[in-house]
Amino acid sequence: MVATFTRPGWYRAALCTVLAAAFGVGLVVLLRSISGLPAFQSEQTGYPQVVVPLILAPLGFLLGIGCFDYWLRWGVGARTIPEDHSSHGAYSWKDYFKVNTDHKVIGVQYVVTSFVFFLIGGLIAMLIRAELAQPGTQIVGAGTFNGLFSTHAVLMIFVFIIPMFAGMANYVLPLMIGAPDMAFPRLNALSYWMLPLAGIMFLASFLAPGGAFDAGWTGYAPLSTGAPLGQSFFNIGVQFAGFSSIFTALNFLVTIITMRAPGMTFWRMPLLVWANLSTSLLVVAATPFISGAQFMVLLDRVLHTNFFQFGAGGDVISYQHIFWFYSHPAVYIMILPGFGIISEVISVHARKPIFGYRLMALALIGIVVLSYSVWAHHMFVAGMFSWLRVPMMLTTLLIAVPTGIKIFSWLGTLYFGKIHTKSTAMLFALAMIVTFTIGGISGVMLGMVPFDIHVSDTYFIVAHIHFVLFGGSVFTIFAGLYHWFPKMTGRMYDERLGRIHFWGTLIGTWGTFIPMHWVGMDGMPRRVADYAAQFGNWNLMISCFAFLLGAVQLIFVYNMIVSWRFGPKAPANPWGGKSIEWLVSSPPPVFNFDEIPRVVGGPYEYGIPGARHAIMPGEGAEIPVTRETVVGS
Amino acid sequence: MESASVPLPHGAGGHAAEHEHHGPPEANQSSRIDRQTLGILLFIISEVMLFGSFFASYFFLRVVVNPAAWPPHPFELPVGVAGMNTAILVSSSFTIHYALEGIRKGNKQAMKLGLALTWLLGLTFLFVQINEYVHLGFSIRTESFGTIFYSLTGLHGAHVFIGLTLLTAATIRAFRGHFDKEPEKHLGVEVPGIYWHFVDIMWIIVFATVYIL
Repeated sequence: MVATFTRPGWYRAALCTVLAAAFGVGLVVLLRSISGLPAFQSEQTGYPQVVVPLILAPLGFLLGIGCFDYWLRWGVGARTIPEDHSSHGAYSWKDYFKVNTDHKVIGVQYVVTSFVFFLIGGLIAMLIRAELAQPGTQIVGAGTFNGLFSTHAVLMIFVFIIPMFAGMANYVLPLMIGAPDMAFPRLNALSYWMLPLAGIMFLASFLAPGGAFDAGWTGYAPLSTGAPLGQSFFNIGVQFAGFSSIFTALNFLVTIITMRAPGMTFWRMPLLVWANLSTSLLVVAATPFISGAQFMVLLDRVLHTNFFQFGAGGDVISYQHIFWFYSHPAVYIMILPGFGIISEVISVHARKPIFGYRLMALALIGIVVLSYSVWAHHMFVAGMFSWLRVPMMLTTLLIAVPTGIKIFSWLGTLYFGKIHTKSTAMLFALAMIVTFTIGGISGVMLGMVPFDIHVSDTYFIVAHIHFVLFGGSVFTIFAGLYHWFPKMTGRMYDERLGRIHFWGTLIGTWGTFIPMHWVGMDGMPRRVADYAAQFGNWNLMISCFAFLLGAVQLIFVYNMIVSWRFGPKAPANPWGGKSIEWLVSSPPPVFNFDEIPRVVGGPYEYGIPGARHAIMPGEGAEIPVTRETVVGS
Repeated sequence: MESASVPLPHGAGGHAAEHEHHGPPEANQSSRIDRQTLGILLFIISEVMLFGSFFASYFFLRVVVNPAAWPPHPFELPVGVAGMNTAILVSSSFTIHYALEGIRKGNKQAMKLGLALTWLLGLTFLFVQINEYVHLGFSIRTESFGTIFYSLTGLHGAHVFIGLTLLTAATIRAFRGHFDKEPEKHLGVEVPGIYWHFVDIMWIIVFATVYIL
């Protein structure tokens, strides 16, 4: 009985969560009694007796589930068990519900968890569209509506797109560079387990008095500093999501820099690895700014400090500067890994080397550098320093150049390629190039100060963000999921259902988001539950397409679940890829390789006779020396 | 007990034969820098940016808002006390360096002495700072000045606490004899050492900005 609660696992996690929450409440009551204050405080923003347990309970959970066991044993000088690999690899489905140090298990945990949040966020989007189908109030009131669109955005950004990319890279990246695992497997597990906690916290805010946080995903002060308790759930949840992505990024960087296979120079890395290298640089250096901003809001709310209190010397606009200094790089965090996926998919299915491979990598680095210099283009109408507008407009237009390089390189790769669309992944990749380009062009339009002033806070913004995030990021996610599904599960998915899902998604996306440009230009404001009657027909049409878009995702869910269980066995290399993850079995062995492979050439040398990317252990002797010298470099 | 001296997981090629599991192959070391050192350096970049967000707020509140008096009348900052505290923290950087130089040469006594001294100096710093907080006379709600003063110094104090926690672990293991001369056998001192230097340098910046500028 005692052992049940001392072994790392769900029982101990439940116990530690409860104890940590109780400790938090006790601490608040104790400190407040010492200071002569009433034990509980339930003003609109305060609630320290809820906020402190909200911070401590997740830490208790992580402790209980076993994320810190090794480090604590190390820290107190106890004997640590040398690498017994007892928590590495999944041998039954139950292993996916434990702290596991295998990057492949963590990758699947990430992908499935973030997909669940995608479905929840999608359901919320359906509610939003149902409310907006007609002018006037349909199913939810204005207050609930604010909570719904805020939660929708936060779920999609912080616990779907960002961790979904982290999850796919977690699975594929160590295989691609010929590493047996990530650099810090235990840190990797910790990063994963913080993710569901963040998501649950965002959702739990619906239960808070006053409803879910409703200041938008941007949580601008002073709207957020005066909002009901739910806002604190957002402030704290973002910290967990943020730590999760910082630790993952750090892990990717160390893995890529120190654990590449022999012969894998930087210029032989697949572009997915380059993409995650640049994304991780962004995450490590930018994410602390949103942590900082949310800490400040939380302090203003609970301790009544004066960061954003105008009357006491605070600066309201400073919130937006600090927030966007993270959140503009964040939009690249949400698309660069997708660029990497598209490069892989396009090259494999067009059977051609990537056009301008080095420029593709340098364009990624260019985007990383430039993305730190564009943040204030979100603030043209905020009343910030007016001299900052034109410089920000120029850098915003400039960042379209490296992005354009990538688009044209994909087109160059497709040009005269032997394009196979037998895989749904390729369909999504091709659709992404078109859809993302439209979203990118409306982004350039929004970079122009006069135009931005005209359409600020209208549905044009909603259309733009969904064209780049749904038509861009989500399409790349689907491309990646279809592309690596055989590798991850060892099964093939149903291509026919994949096609239905693709065409439904494409028509749904365009039908939903293209008309939003027009109603936005005509002045329909975003983030409002009601609108002028003149937009009624357009919105009914948008809602219908949105429901189509939502419905076809169920086909994807069905396809993935049924194929995972009953699909035909996948070969090691169903698409004829050259990078290392295709040279191991599907799914890969528990420790990836018996011996580390040797890299002898670039990753995309399709159609070049005798070209090889990597030589797996045990096959080196079979390859004649002459062929290897042809391949060399 | 070899792996006990390494704070974070590492490839375990050497153990493969001793276990019934077939262990992973040893990863290829593709860079001269080891994983733990690179990891803590990247983490420090993150930490610097976290401080950066609070420094950004500091300059917004002080320069952009530009209040009439900074600090507000009648409060004053005890520059002398904080300066003495700065000297304490800076000297702890030298003692941790002494400890590291010691273990690099295989001198375990020097390492233990250096670690223990560093730990005591760090703790002294925290106590002096808490004492300073008690006697300042203004609170975190005293206009924007009080807010950003306590936030920046408090954020730094939290990092001293994290550094001390790491040092505690390193000291315990040092006294248990878990570290040795070879570079990979004293990473558990090197990594907290790098972090401690960061905490120290960050304090010099915080001190210069908040107390002197």
